[in-house]
Amino acid sequence: MPIASPPSPASDSQTAPDLYRPLAPDADPTTDGLLSGSRICVQPRIAVGGWRMEAGSAALAGYVASEDAFVIERLRAGGAQLTGSVRIAEFGFGLEGDTTGPAVCRDNQAAVLADALGESRMIAAEHGLWAFQPSHGAVSRRGLAGLIPSMETLAVVARDAGTLERVLQAVVAPDALDPSMRQQNLPGFGSPAPDASSSTVGVVMEAVDRLDPKTRASFHQRLVEAAGRGLTFREATLPGWAMFRPVHHVIGSVEASSSAGRYDGVRYGHRVPGAANWNDMYLHSRAESFGALLKSYLFQGAGFQFLDYDAYENACRIRRRLVADVEALFGAVDLLALPVSPGAADAGATPSVSGIYDRFESTLPANVLGLPVLCHNGIQWIAPRYRDANLLALMTRLAGGVP
Amino acid sequence: MKPDTVNPVEAVVGLEIHVQLNCPTKLFCDCPNAPAEEPNRHVCPICLGLPGTVPRFSRAALERAALTGLALNCQIQPLSAFDQKVYYYPDLPKGYQLSQHHLPLARNGWLEIAGEDGRPRRLRIHHIHMEEDVAKLVHETEGRTKIGLVDFNRAGAPLVEIVTEPDLRSPYEAMEFLKGLRAQIRCAGTAECSMESGSMRCDANISIRAPGSDEMNAKVEVKNMNSVRAVGSAIAHEVARQSALVRQGRAVTVHTRLWDPDRNITAPMREKFAGPCIPDPVVPPIRAAEEWIEDLQRRLPEMPGPKRERLVREYGLTGDEAAQMSEDRETGDYFEALARAAGIPARTAAQWVASRLLPALKERGESPDRTAMTPARLAELLMMAEADRVSATAAREVFYLMLTSGRTATELVEEHGFAQIDEAGELEELIRGVMADHPAAVQDLRNGKDQAAGFLIGQAMRMSKGKANPMMLREILERQV
Repeated sequence: MPIASPPSPASDSQTAPDLYRPLAPDADPTTDGLLSGSRICVQPRIAVGGWRMEAGSAALAGYVASEDAFVIERLRAGGAQLTGSVRIAEFGFGLEGDTTGPAVCRDNQAAVLADALGESRMIAAEHGLWAFQPSHGAVSRRGLAGLIPSMETLAVVARDAGTLERVLQAVVAPDALDPSMRQQNLPGFGSPAPDASSSTVGVVMEAVDRLDPKTRASFHQRLVEAAGRGLTFREATLPGWAMFRPVHHVIGSVEASSSAGRYDGVRYGHRVPGAANWNDMYLHSRAESFGALLKSYLFQGAGFQFLDYDAYENACRIRRRLVADVEALFGAVDLLALPVSPGAADAGATPSVSGIYDRFESTLPANVLGLPVLCHNGIQWIAPRYRDANLLALMTRLAGGVP
Repeated sequence: MKPDTVNPVEAVVGLEIHVQLNCPTKLFCDCPNAPAEEPNRHVCPICLGLPGTVPRFSRAALERAALTGLALNCQIQPLSAFDQKVYYYPDLPKGYQLSQHHLPLARNGWLEIAGEDGRPRRLRIHHIHMEEDVAKLVHETEGRTKIGLVDFNRAGAPLVEIVTEPDLRSPYEAMEFLKGLRAQIRCAGTAECSMESGSMRCDANISIRAPGSDEMNAKVEVKNMNSVRAVGSAIAHEVARQSALVRQGRAVTVHTRLWDPDRNITAPMREKFAGPCIPDPVVPPIRAAEEWIEDLQRRLPEMPGPKRERLVREYGLTGDEAAQMSEDRETGDYFEALARAAGIPARTAAQWVASRLLPALKERGESPDRTAMTPARLAELLMMAEADRVSATAAREVFYLMLTSGRTATELVEEHGFAQIDEAGELEELIRGVMADHPAAVQDLRNGKDQAAGFLIGQAMRMSKGKANPMMLREILERQV
């Protein structure tokens, strides 16, 4: 597997202010922390006290976070320099207009973002970066303006594996104020890597079969290189592969529709002036607050909620089965590997909800399953739940050429 | 509207009762659970539903909710969970209410009441679920402009909703059920249950059918009843209204109505937009271990039903007296402490508690567990009365003096000269004087008119300012006549 060189700032002609809204540097940054000197940008869905948290949406227009998100507290405590908030698609749904990749390439070491569809892996694949999305429940969601809570995890995109590991060491920690996260036995990043020769990887053939011949050959070549460093590969099949997309679509849209209920223009965000009554105010404020794409997704979720609740219940049932199937698969293999492609190249073009799902099809399984996933060189490596640290250590070791 | 006596119908009523738990904090944040205080004093990013906040479930609320379920004979479910109940209204900060729609905390409860025929009636509770309260809306005008104000103090307050089976058949049963439910929950110590102050709210689902039928017809939900009596009145009105519709050949349609207490009628209300519930992905599901449930069961005090039976058995109270003494934990505890301390007949103690103590405390805004008139102080007075050291009349006067003075019964009796006169010579002289003043009554008594004795003793008591021993007066009078 080739080692990616750090992207050159010259490769991106955009200037920093175009890429993100700069933050004032911390008055008294920690100088001896794990992340001292690391420049890290964040999505404006993550609360940074005193700064706008607009999530790319008029629904949060002018909203200023009153306190730091848990991950921001941890980054600050680690000595990171928070440089600014990147531009994102509305509520981070898809990558249209997203500047996370260029911002990291240009003048940051890493970015912290919420990943609901596979956005972090798409960014990493497109910009030659590293991405890691921890197990669902391993990172506190406190301070995240969430959209799809059960599919969404705070992820990290970084220029190199070392930065990735240090950021993960900082942000993966118990938060007693977030009851949704796992509080004990969290992955301890920084542990020694397992022996690569003892690891068997199942290659998800349903994903490989979707690749065009050229991309497939390139993907195959990278696996051959990884095999040369000690990993054992075998073909694996996910019987429910075709179900990941509809399951994500149905559950995701329903959760988004419900989660977005709080963005109503009553306490913050956009509110239409001169509404005749409360109902009128809701109707028009919400109609004007959301963009066409997200509105379409919310409508679809509302449709399932109100008109076809059975579809939602079935999707939840199928999701449980998919989780069980993949857990069983991990009895035979240690990791799963699948390509990010074919969607990465044009992930930023988002004509419609179905267009988004077309492009993110290969990255949806990790989100549906809530499993830790690392992406580098266009390959997604998925590990069993809470084996995050092993996954990162193994891949870092392989990237360094150590078997 | 009067009931139809020509074509009788049977009411089919189910209740949905919201009870505000008396927890120190709200259900999902640390804000004080004090909805009645200055508007918007107790708010935080969580109960305002601000972006990025995550709910933090209160274990204290869970315990109180489970105790409430056990007090109402429910089975605590091994798994329960919160859902997002979606609707848009300014009283709901998140656009959804966290409520246990699919997996409630408790199921299959019951409560026994005395039916209209005096026989026990067991009324079933379908389930009890937890949920967060919504904000309070206040409608005002500013000049000629109508404005709506939102008080978020109540948003997120911990509630349980108790949903009965449609087992109730009359306004009487609904009112008795609510009284019984209130007594059980107060006894468990988990809520105040005051409909007047809004800590207990009741909606009724009402339909009618022919007596003896098991049909379930279209039901009408009635809201806005702010007392137990109002629930009875609203049900009676709604049954009569539906009966009239049916008599006219018109259909009863499913909808919601509001009780208007000023006009004593129900009127249709505009429906809120209401959506389905989806499981909340953030609040972890509640897994209730057997040991935890058993521990809660042990912590539950004696409930009014068993207590009533024990008071009859142990203290010889009548059923009504026992019911009064077991209405809430504080009254029961007071009565038992008094009965044990006074060494007097327990029924006397119960009668004093029911007829003197409770009304006096209510008037003073006190309660049996928060009054300076402790059982020990009252016991001293009752012992004096029982030993004929003060008359019943004097005892009542001393009781009210004790409430305000803080002095002992002995001190007050002495200070105000309430000690009973039981010196024979003094009483004989008193009777002689009364007989001299009322010769006609004396003659009546001699002629066999017993009422005259009561009159003459009453005169003697009056002259002694209530201090004469009435038993001795009677003996002396009979002897002298």
